[in-house]
Amino acid sequence: MIDTNTKRLALFNFWIAFGSFALACVFGIYQVLERSGLFSFIQSPAVYFASVSTHGVLMAFVLTTFFIMGFGYYTATTSLKMPIWNPLLAWSGYAICLTGVVLAAIPLLLGKASVLYTFYPPIQANAFFYIGATLLVVGSWFWTVIMIVMFGKWKKNHPGETVPLPMFATTANAYLWAWTSVGVALEAVFQLLPWSLGLRDTIDVGLARTLFAWTLHPIVYFWLIPAYIALYSYVPIAAGGKLFSEKLARVAFLLILVFGLPIGFHHLYMDPEQGTIAKFWHMVGTFAVALPTLLTGFTVIASLEMAGRKRGGKGLFGWIGALPWQNTMVLAAILSLLMLVLGGFGGIVNASYAMNAMVHNTAWVPGHFHLIFAGTVVTMYLALAYHLWPKLSGKKLFSNDLALTQLWTWFIGMVIMTTPWHVLGLLGQPRRISAVQYNSLLTLAWQPYELLMIIGGFVLLGSACLFVYILFKTQTEGTLEPQTDEPNIQGEAVVSLWLNNFVPWNLLILGLMMLSYGWPILQFFVLKTYNPTAWGY
Amino acid sequence: MKGILLAAICCLFNEAVMAEPSSLVAWTPDTLNRLKKGNAEHGKELSGTCAGCHNETNANPQLDGQLPTYIYKQLVDYKNGNRKDPTTAMNGLASTLSDQDMTDVSAWYGQQAPIQGKGGGNDTTGIVFKGDGKRMEPSCSSCHGYSGQGEKVDTPRLAGQKADYLEKTLLAYKSGVRGNDIYSRMRLIASKLSDQEIKQLADYYSKLD
Amino acid sequence: MNPSSWISKIRSCLNLFEQDIEIENLEKKWLYVATIMVGFFVIVMGIGALVLNVNPPSHWETIDSASLHLSSEFAEDKLGVQPMALPDGTIQVQLVAARYGFYPREIVVPADQKIQFRMATLDVLHGAHIPMTNMSTMIVPGHVSEVTTVFPKPGEYPLLCNEYCGMGHDHMWSKVTVLSQDEWAALKTGGKQP
Repeated sequence: MIDTNTKRLALFNFWIAFGSFALACVFGIYQVLERSGLFSFIQSPAVYFASVSTHGVLMAFVLTTFFIMGFGYYTATTSLKMPIWNPLLAWSGYAICLTGVVLAAIPLLLGKASVLYTFYPPIQANAFFYIGATLLVVGSWFWTVIMIVMFGKWKKNHPGETVPLPMFATTANAYLWAWTSVGVALEAVFQLLPWSLGLRDTIDVGLARTLFAWTLHPIVYFWLIPAYIALYSYVPIAAGGKLFSEKLARVAFLLILVFGLPIGFHHLYMDPEQGTIAKFWHMVGTFAVALPTLLTGFTVIASLEMAGRKRGGKGLFGWIGALPWQNTMVLAAILSLLMLVLGGFGGIVNASYAMNAMVHNTAWVPGHFHLIFAGTVVTMYLALAYHLWPKLSGKKLFSNDLALTQLWTWFIGMVIMTTPWHVLGLLGQPRRISAVQYNSLLTLAWQPYELLMIIGGFVLLGSACLFVYILFKTQTEGTLEPQTDEPNIQGEAVVSLWLNNFVPWNLLILGLMMLSYGWPILQFFVLKTYNPTAWGY
Repeated sequence: MKGILLAAICCLFNEAVMAEPSSLVAWTPDTLNRLKKGNAEHGKELSGTCAGCHNETNANPQLDGQLPTYIYKQLVDYKNGNRKDPTTAMNGLASTLSDQDMTDVSAWYGQQAPIQGKGGGNDTTGIVFKGDGKRMEPSCSSCHGYSGQGEKVDTPRLAGQKADYLEKTLLAYKSGVRGNDIYSRMRLIASKLSDQEIKQLADYYSKLD
Repeated sequence: MNPSSWISKIRSCLNLFEQDIEIENLEKKWLYVATIMVGFFVIVMGIGALVLNVNPPSHWETIDSASLHLSSEFAEDKLGVQPMALPDGTIQVQLVAARYGFYPREIVVPADQKIQFRMATLDVLHGAHIPMTNMSTMIVPGHVSEVTTVFPKPGEYPLLCNEYCGMGHDHMWSKVTVLSQDEWAALKTGGKQP
């Protein structure tokens, strides 16, 4: 049974995560309306770019970081059956993160940090924005340390035993985050902060972009791993079966950890400051990291098939119908995997080296990451919330039917919204414009898609409101219900040493990172660069 | 071979007739830092000469509260002949100033409170905030700021400036008489405005407070 | 320690790894399928890069953005389509990206001929993209971007800034007119313009 402290810690993290999520959805609806150009009275680049910056920060940094921390604490205590190591440290980390969010939110909402969540020097934001973002990262490192220590402590107390899969994956994520965040931390501490505080006049934009790319790709795996934990650990059981192969699951998490890191340059394919050799090498890595996702698809679908057949499903596809579609976790998994397949195809196009030129920075790109992140990842976060809320609050979920409606509408809204973006991207519409001002016949081809986008946006906003309503009702009016423990998701056999510790993998990552980022970063110190001063916007 | 030779001759020729850049000022970190450290006290002494002409009684631009970067660039351009004063008065005056003088006088004016417009301005052209995509015309506010306050590099404050001066300047950009804007950015913008719109825009910015 | 003993050591490690994992048959097959699929993509792109020289625009060349207008290449009267083609017939175009446009704002180039764009920014980060073509590159302060392409279809194209560069970003675009080879020849020889 999980202790009160962990429950409170998890809930406090989740409320910030999902509160930010709901707020960001409101910004989102404003953005689709503004961008459509159909309502001239709300058009304003100043408000739009402030809104896009806030939406991005809330969704990509706040929702994710707080959710992952809360879920990590929950997973650690339930799967290791031990209390949080050093709760004071956990709460301090939480406080630092929250302070960071508040500090960053003030300039963001005042329009003093409209630099988008990717920072984009030499456009300069108010220093508090960078300080806030840095604190959010620093606070999350407390969580990272706690996860790694708990993993180590458990192993010490259980010599020769296998760490349960959810905790193994969570620890992999903690290591992943430690490696991932170094890039942006270096950029913040050595470039953005001194520059925005006036201690330094200029900023090396090429270096800043390289360091940000270091973080920008693996961070999506940091977001994705909790969704995969749910797919591997909760979904097979919810479907009435069991995980097809625990070993393969561990291999998948390790592959993500190792190959997710040294591949950030697919964000810089179109940049002048990196060479073809580095870009090609990162492209190979980007394709390699498709492997664990293909493995996950296979293993999860196989687990679902086993469950479906156990429930009496027959024939090639009969097992699909036999699945418990009324179960939020199972439904979310199915919808999530569907979006992963669609988004994955788009991702292969983005990753395809020179072909990226056709879609780089077009509406195709937000189409892709909304499918993968807001679709695949967030859908699993939502399902996890429905799964965890009763366990954390001790109350019965307010309404299973409403929760199912919510998941369906989220999926439908996301498909309606992202399909036009993909088409618009192929038609060349840039992603970050607040209005279409080009006097070109091409823009006529864009118009019909704007309306679809708005419909999708409204469905999503409605769905997000419903989600918050369900959680709120559960917490305030839910009937008390005794909660069961998480079932033991412990592997049947003792797995090999390779799949039960991280030392060799971290060494491998170190080598790969040196190979991938050594010269690309060093060149900025060896070769002469001309660095620009700060610009407003 | 012939082609290469031709190209080489062409290059030489091009070098020979290479036009003067529209301004010799470059916003390097050094230039910006020098401007930040301008000696306003010395600038105040020098500004006595300026006040003779730059005052409320005529159409000369008012300088109080103008961005130091902008004033400095205009002085340098006058001195080098990149900006030509029809009366040649400014070219003559600027040629007597050292780089330090220009820095200091810019610093002094930058520190003064800008004169406020009377208020009540209304943008009847739609160009201030929205621009006009049909003419490839960006909005004024995207560079000069939402309240016409200017931008620290290269973009002057417009709010509260004299309407006559703003109109005269836009017309000068439009006709090409004034051409010290790097890469013709203001010339291209002004060339797409009608004289009527120029009048309206001048009126709008002069009233901004 | 000599290299051969290293190799045998690595081999024994790998063997150990394989024995330890004991992947089931079905999983193994899927792993092969997935690896072959991914490998196929990489090999196709490798051939494209090595044999056909299909690469993204990568070009290390630095320049001082602040004094771009004082440089010889990006001087104000040197921009646009260069009068003389490069020795291999490639037409060179110099463009400056600055808030809020690509200068010069209207250019005319021929179809079916290599065009090499060389671009630099005067101020912040910009991106250049001609929709429906592969003319795309980021323009980073302090760097010269170079991208070479061939336009197969004549017509009027917008050249859009596709990276957020400030409040006027929406307005940042220029016109590129692509002429057929006949029209281009007529234009060059002083014949009547289309």
